[in-house]
Amino acid sequence: MKNIARLFFIGFLLFNFWGWGFIVGGCLNTVYAQEQGDWKQEYAEICAKTQNAMGLSVTELKDRIERCDKLQERINKLEGPRAETEKKVFTKRLKMCRELYNFALEYKEHKE
Amino acid sequence: MVHIKKILSAFIIALTVPVSVSAADYSESLQYLLPPAEYFGRVVLDNYSHKAGVSPVTFDHWLHRAKFTCRLCHIDIGFAMKEKMTEISAADNVSGYYCGSCHDGKRVFDGREIFDSCAEDYIKNEGKRCARCHSDAESEAIKYKYKTFSEKLPKLPGNLIDWEKAESEGKIKLTDFLEGVSYKREPLKAQDDFSIKTATWTSDVIFSHRKHTVWNGCELCHPLIFPSTKKGTTQYSMKKIMKGEYCGACHMSVAFSVWLCDKCHTTPVKQ
Amino acid sequence: MKKAIFITGLLFSIIGIAFAQTGVKKRRPLPYEFGRVVINNYSEASNIAPVVFDHWLHRAKFTCRLCHVDIGFGMKAGASDIKARDNINGYYCGTCHNGTRVFGDTSVFSSCKEGSGSMNATCNRCHSLGKNVTRKYDFREFVKGWPRERLGNGVDWEKAEEQELIMPYDYLEGVSIKRAKLVVQDDFKISSKVEGMPDIIFSHVKHTVWNGCELCHPEIFVGIKRGLTKYSMVDLYEGKYCGVCHNNVAFPLLDCQRCHVQEVK
Repeated sequence: MKNIARLFFIGFLLFNFWGWGFIVGGCLNTVYAQEQGDWKQEYAEICAKTQNAMGLSVTELKDRIERCDKLQERINKLEGPRAETEKKVFTKRLKMCRELYNFALEYKEHKE
Repeated sequence: MVHIKKILSAFIIALTVPVSVSAADYSESLQYLLPPAEYFGRVVLDNYSHKAGVSPVTFDHWLHRAKFTCRLCHIDIGFAMKEKMTEISAADNVSGYYCGSCHDGKRVFDGREIFDSCAEDYIKNEGKRCARCHSDAESEAIKYKYKTFSEKLPKLPGNLIDWEKAESEGKIKLTDFLEGVSYKREPLKAQDDFSIKTATWTSDVIFSHRKHTVWNGCELCHPLIFPSTKKGTTQYSMKKIMKGEYCGACHMSVAFSVWLCDKCHTTPVKQ
Repeated sequence: MKKAIFITGLLFSIIGIAFAQTGVKKRRPLPYEFGRVVINNYSEASNIAPVVFDHWLHRAKFTCRLCHVDIGFGMKAGASDIKARDNINGYYCGTCHNGTRVFGDTSVFSSCKEGSGSMNATCNRCHSLGKNVTRKYDFREFVKGWPRERLGNGVDWEKAEEQELIMPYDYLEGVSIKRAKLVVQDDFKISSKVEGMPDIIFSHVKHTVWNGCELCHPEIFVGIKRGLTKYSMVDLYEGKYCGVCHNNVAFPLLDCQRCHVQEVK
């Protein structure tokens, strides 16, 4: 009985020592993995309005530009076997999108 | 003292290099001094002929010059302004480009069918047709001879044809539009005539835009030959012109020779 | 000693002047060569023939926007820094040239492959500079019967599209973003400086249908206010502004009346 109790206690200690690490790490990884995949989705959402950049309000343009900048930071941190190519390609694509929104913003602010 | 002598002799010997280079420069232009009139405007086209085992093409400008504007061939059809620069191949002609724009065996001009250039398959007795171009001007296959053609046309010194006069006297009529080759455009307004001051003893040049644009349009000269449209930016020199730059692009080889000084240097000499 | 140096210096300067060079005229590209781009970021360094890309074939099948915005190709040779690895990863050329993507009834041949040590016939389809490669599509056959125009490719691309001889794709599954409908900006006039030259009517309609907005703004056309940027033909011929496209892919600048259309009253 005492031995079983001791085993349980050691097991409990070990779990607390390692287990939480695995669980939390695992969760974080899942989130991170989702984030990795999500960034493309984010790009698609931000840049979907380039065909009518001039029709967006100043607030929306500013918001999208901010989102572009944040996304660029994420792109800079990409990892994996295709990371180098993806960084190169999406930096260019995101830049075109961001600069167009900025162009429209400057036009509107200048008019005012 | 000996030191200086050695250097001086080396200098004099070395001087022969730039002097002979300059002399060579000018001597190259001397060949254009007074060529026989029938050779004036001759262009030898040999990008691929030699390699294919046929005589290179000798193109004498005068015949086409009497029938078409410069613009039609050099802009609409797209011939380059320098020998061998266009890189015409038989395949291009067969496909209806370059010479093949007209020389396709079908186009009718002046009431006659224009003979076909090049072909994909050749038979032996077609040799005569090929020799109309792939031969020198003395060949029997050449249909029009300079002497007979230019007999009735007004002349410039050196037996050259005075094209301006020929046109103003109605002796030649130039075609500026070819169906399927040219595309209708709104004509651009002709720019002013202006004078170019010379730095030497020669009289100033009066450049006539009007006379040039009636044959060339604008695109032929601008910007490839005359890049700047701002008067006074480019410094012209006879040396450059004789090397085929600027006015020399035409007036060293096809239009009236630069050796007819007073055709351009027209303002009266200051006394 | 000083004298010797001086005289020798004088000697060399005289000889130098005598050998001064003058300019050379450029050759006009043939209709099937117009729009040719040679891509050589890494080819030559890897002992492979550089890539020869002729615009006309892709131009007939896709909008400018699809390649230059969605896929992300640069507007100048070498600007995209394309590596074989990028193609293998399914980007740039590899976006379509992956052996599996299908257009109509043709599957697009695969570009660069993993572990391709030696070059084969497929590699030579693109890596063809200096090689005598028979292209699959012959220009003259391809454009036979199409509406012609002078200069450039000799093809009136606008008319060809009107007559539905070409129907360029503007959307690639898995690559293009689902975008809102394009809202076209106005056409407007640009006055010409040279007296007598007709004014230019710039058509946003014609340009955005193939390019979208991002291709030109702001990278090529920075000015947010009309009239701020002063264009000069010299700039254009150097490859700036309109010259980015209209020097070597779209109809050339030499065709003055295509842009200078409005008579000055």
